[in-house]
Amino acid sequence: MTGADIAVGAAVPHLERTITLTDMVAYAGATWDWHRMHYDPDFLTAKGFPGPVVDGQVFGALLAEQLQDWLGPRAVLRTLDFRFKNLVFAGETVRCTAQVTAVEPDPDGDGELVTVASTVEVIGPDGEALRTAVTPAGATVAVRR
Amino acid sequence: MSALLTDALRARIGERAVYTAPEPLGRAAIRYYAVAVGDDNPLYTDRSYARDHGYEDVIAPPTLLAETNQYVLGCPDGDGYLGHSWHLDVPHTRAVRGGNAYEFGKPAGPDTIVTATWTITDMTERTTSRGVPMLIVTSEARYTDQHGELLLTNVETLIHTALGGER
Repeated sequence: MTGADIAVGAAVPHLERTITLTDMVAYAGATWDWHRMHYDPDFLTAKGFPGPVVDGQVFGALLAEQLQDWLGPRAVLRTLDFRFKNLVFAGETVRCTAQVTAVEPDPDGDGELVTVASTVEVIGPDGEALRTAVTPAGATVAVRR
Repeated sequence: MSALLTDALRARIGERAVYTAPEPLGRAAIRYYAVAVGDDNPLYTDRSYARDHGYEDVIAPPTLLAETNQYVLGCPDGDGYLGHSWHLDVPHTRAVRGGNAYEFGKPAGPDTIVTATWTITDMTERTTSRGVPMLIVTSEARYTDQHGELLLTNVETLIHTALGGER
C-alpha cells in the first residue's frame, strides 16, 4: 500500500472470498450468533432455503478489510454503510469492489478523507457476476499523514 | 391507511433497550473474530505493531462491535439466536434485514467493556414495487465504553414484508 492511487475514480483492489460452511461456523462463534439459518439442514429445509445463509453483516467486515488493506495502518474507518440485495449461501464466492468518489481534506484530522462507493457480488468459477449481494454500499476513511 | 403499522406498533417508536457486557471484550475475542472473517491485519493481533501505529494496544476490527452479541446476557432462543430483538408482532409478514450504517468512534480494545443502547427510531410503511405492503423498522444502537466514550453508532433497518401481498 502506497497511497499513490488515492484519487477520485481510482479502483480499490478487489477482495474475493469463498465463504465456506466452516467459515460460517467460525463467524457464528466469533459473533455469539448461533442462528440455525446459518448451518442447520433441518431448519433450512423447513424454511425453504437452498443452503446455509451467510450472515449479511460479514460483508461489512469484508468491505472494511478491503479498505484497511488498501490504505494501511494510517487509515481509520469513519463510516460504513451497506444494503442487502440478495442472500448468499455457503460455498459461494463474493467479490467486493470499490471506487473512490471523493478525496478532501479531513475536517477532523490532519490528513485526507477518502470516500468510496462499494458493491458486493456473488461470482461464478470464471469470475463472472451471478447476482448482487450488497448495493449500494459506501464508506469514508480518514488517512492520516 | 396503514395495513401493517398499527397504533400498538407506532407506540413503540422511541422504545429503548440497554445491555452492558459482563466482562471486557478481551484479546481472544478480537483475535477470534479476525480469524473468523479472514482478516490478518496485525493491528488486531500484534500489540507492538499496534503501538508502532499510534494505538495503546491491539484494537478490535471496526465492525466487530456491531456484529457481536457478546454484551447480551442469557441463552440463545429456540432458533439459536442470542442477540437483541424487539420481538415486534407484525402478523403475516416475513422479516429481512435491510442494511446497516455505521459511524465509528474510538476503537475498542481488549479492556473495553461495552454498553449497547438500542432505540427504535422510526417505523414507516411503504409498498414494494409490486404493491405489497412492507413495514420498515429503523433502530439505532449506540455502543459506548465504561468511560462513556462513543465507540460506534449502528443504524439498522429491518423490513417486514406482507406474505402473499395480503394480511
